[in-house]
Amino acid sequence: MIGNILITLALLASVFTVVMYYLTSKGYENTLKPARIGYHSMAILVIAASAFLLHAILTHQYQFKYVFNYSNGDLPTGLLMSTFYAGQEGSFMLWLLFTAIVGLVLLEYTSKRKNLEPQVMMVFTLAASFLLLMVSPILKNPFTFIWTEPTFVDIKNLNQAFLSLPFVRNFIFEDPGGGQTFVKVGPELYSALTANGIEISNFIVKGKGLNPLLQNFWMQIHPPILFVGFAMSTVPFAFAFSALMKNYYNDWVKQSLPWIVAATGILGLAIMLGGYWAYGVLGWGGYWAWDPVENSSLVPWIIGVAAIHTMLVQKRTQEKEGLGRFGKTNLILSIMMYLLVLYSTFLTRSGILGDSSVHSFVDPGMTVYLLLVIFVGSFALLGFGAIAYRWKDLNKFFNFEENLLSRELALFTGSVALIASAIIILVGTSAPIFGQSVELRFYNELNLPIGIIIGLLNGFSLLLKWKATDGKSIFENSKFSIAATLISTLLIVFLGGVYEPVMIIFTLSSAFALFVNLEIAYKIIRGRKLFLGSYIAHVGIALFMLGVIATGGFTQEQQVDLAKGESTEVFGYQLTFTGYEPIENGKKYKFNVDINDGGSSYNVAPVMFVSDFNNSLMREPDILTKLTKDIYVSPVSYSEGSNEHNHGAQVTLIMGDTYDYKDAKITFKEFNFPQDAMNSMMGGGEFSIGTILSVEYQGESYLIEPKMVSINGQKNYVPAEVKEANLHVELLNLDASGKVIVVFSELEGNNMVTAPTKEILSIEASIKPFINLVWLGVLVMFIGFLMSALRRTKESRE
Amino acid sequence: MNNKYIFGGFIIVVFLGLMAYLFTQTNISYENNFTEIMKTDKTIKATGAWVKTKNYHIDKEKNLFSFYMIDDEGKEMKVVYKGTIPNNFESATSVVVTGKYQKGIFHASDILTKCPSKYEEEFQETKNS
Repeated sequence: MIGNILITLALLASVFTVVMYYLTSKGYENTLKPARIGYHSMAILVIAASAFLLHAILTHQYQFKYVFNYSNGDLPTGLLMSTFYAGQEGSFMLWLLFTAIVGLVLLEYTSKRKNLEPQVMMVFTLAASFLLLMVSPILKNPFTFIWTEPTFVDIKNLNQAFLSLPFVRNFIFEDPGGGQTFVKVGPELYSALTANGIEISNFIVKGKGLNPLLQNFWMQIHPPILFVGFAMSTVPFAFAFSALMKNYYNDWVKQSLPWIVAATGILGLAIMLGGYWAYGVLGWGGYWAWDPVENSSLVPWIIGVAAIHTMLVQKRTQEKEGLGRFGKTNLILSIMMYLLVLYSTFLTRSGILGDSSVHSFVDPGMTVYLLLVIFVGSFALLGFGAIAYRWKDLNKFFNFEENLLSRELALFTGSVALIASAIIILVGTSAPIFGQSVELRFYNELNLPIGIIIGLLNGFSLLLKWKATDGKSIFENSKFSIAATLISTLLIVFLGGVYEPVMIIFTLSSAFALFVNLEIAYKIIRGRKLFLGSYIAHVGIALFMLGVIATGGFTQEQQVDLAKGESTEVFGYQLTFTGYEPIENGKKYKFNVDINDGGSSYNVAPVMFVSDFNNSLMREPDILTKLTKDIYVSPVSYSEGSNEHNHGAQVTLIMGDTYDYKDAKITFKEFNFPQDAMNSMMGGGEFSIGTILSVEYQGESYLIEPKMVSINGQKNYVPAEVKEANLHVELLNLDASGKVIVVFSELEGNNMVTAPTKEILSIEASIKPFINLVWLGVLVMFIGFLMSALRRTKESRE
Repeated sequence: MNNKYIFGGFIIVVFLGLMAYLFTQTNISYENNFTEIMKTDKTIKATGAWVKTKNYHIDKEKNLFSFYMIDDEGKEMKVVYKGTIPNNFESATSVVVTGKYQKGIFHASDILTKCPSKYEEEFQETKNS
């Protein structure tokens, strides 16, 4: 209840704030104070609601459906806290929380700059209101009680003591497919429990837990940073809109720059952390798969970068000439950046990508879909409506003619290239809406030439002066860079074996960007250090592009079987599987592999385990990181090396099926699962299930019963045999739906050949050259963004 | 002055043309009717359920992974994927495979599994039917 009250009050406060700020912008004077109070109350209520949710998670209050669905008492505290945003409801909550906090800083910032606060905060608070509506009790609310809609809860999550109560028994259901037993938790059961004085939090004692793919450090860090980036992307929109409201365009760029630079930098860092997560833990093998969810956060980032560059031109030109160049472009790009964040949310949250993305959420229901459409639609209407409304005024201002060799034009061309790239990715990512999709080739082939152009412009634009440059001085200034570029490209081409023409050009353009920026950075390092920001960011992107060329073009991959104790050569390394050991209390197994490069020896230990969460085999790669390359070892499978299976036949039998093995006719009759075993299973105790098979052999009939015995949840299988028929039957798995997997073989000792048993680990090994440059590049870029944001913050006060 | 717009317009047309061309070249459509898939030899994303009763098969020597898929109309199709069984496969309810149908087998280059995040609802459905 408390959570919902807080959310509802926050929603009211935010609507009130929007209205008050609107009135203030219309010239009312006594409405500013209430507006500020309104915003602060909203922020405090949101923080309180978030704290309440976090508290519910940490204290395992499974009466909340959200807590039950995503968390579990077994999780360590760090991961438990990250279940806050493991689902739709909570991730909207996290976005809202960061929006509220960013708004506090923004309020402080705008209140110190004259005639800025009412318009900017009005739009910003409006965005917060939409998020509040999203988590409000009528939509994706994290505080919904579990019983409000009938939910089937696996009995293993319930307090076993209550299951024998007569009124509870009416709610127990058997799943015909999966062999699980559920209790239907709905309003009826809730009132029955309450009538008997049982609290629901005592009744449900375990949550479903967190998807094992999310159980790692990156889950704790990637989503929060991404949502900080999302929350900050609201700010450039608010600044652009407030400029349009006021019909005054001279100051907003200066004031917006630090925000858009910081937002873009943080968004970029978040995207890279997601990429590292996919590479290092999820075992995608690479850092980028053009997955729609990845793409949809990359597009606003690209637009942010484009906007920063044209905004610099406007800022630069308006100091002398009034409005400044690219005034319209900047308004549109600032608006687009946030719209694309919202569109990205729409794509990933509306269920529309259902079939096409690895990590899109499942169908959230019609109301959420509609609200998302309204959210995107309203802000699009607001933004573009305002531009259309002011279109005449915007066109009244100067027309510019640039010199061909001016930095203005080079920056503009760079932005155009970035926008083109954004359009390409957007088109490919949106295709699933129309039941289409594109091969990854679409992204790679179209973005490659753009990458080359951006690399060249990255270097070239810095050699140009504002307004106009004469050709000679460019050459004079860049002799060192050009020489260094040529030499290093030649080295890379010959030493690295880069022979594809496009790749050579791409290398050249990236190297050019790198050296021009390094040279300038070197020249000014003693001067004003804050000015280094943009050059550092550019060095970062150049390093990143070189890393992309190396890993994209020269990754080698191979699947190999490693027999225990024997070394196998893979890409010039000796790999030896030395055995496995349990980790994390036997929940997972790590498989030790020694890697020897002729001199030193290293160890990697990829992990495999069967997760309780989804009963699936999960694999985690391990990476040997060296300075110039990563050796990426991804586990595929492990076989004990018992050779029995090779001699026998593994078969799946459905009840009633008959299978012929050698001269025997084997029929799966039924399960032997007496009532007392069933009761024992319900109570979580020890039980066994038999599989009755009839064997006909030379006119004789035999009945055998291989068994599964479960002790403390640990399954053991007891084989059976028919001596007369020389038949050994091993049970591998059984399914309550009436399906068993068995292995038939001849009795041991009678086998003609007994091959020596070998434990074999199959792995996929790959060499990723210079992948460190990718991470390094993005980190360097992020540092550049931060420095630049600091510099622009200082300038915004001038 | 006008030259600028002609030049810009030209670039935009070339860019859009290139993109549209590549889009048609790399375009893959979704299909949930296996009868249709078997008629064409184009690359397609086939969506359906995997047939758990028929189990899956891993051929380690050839590094192939195969299983059967079924569409809404009950048409079954054998799928062979070069690679290993994806994470989550055992618990997947529906599968999206990208590839071509040739000589009675769907050769997949990519498998995407969808897991039952809302198994309660599905369970409810089976109870009702």
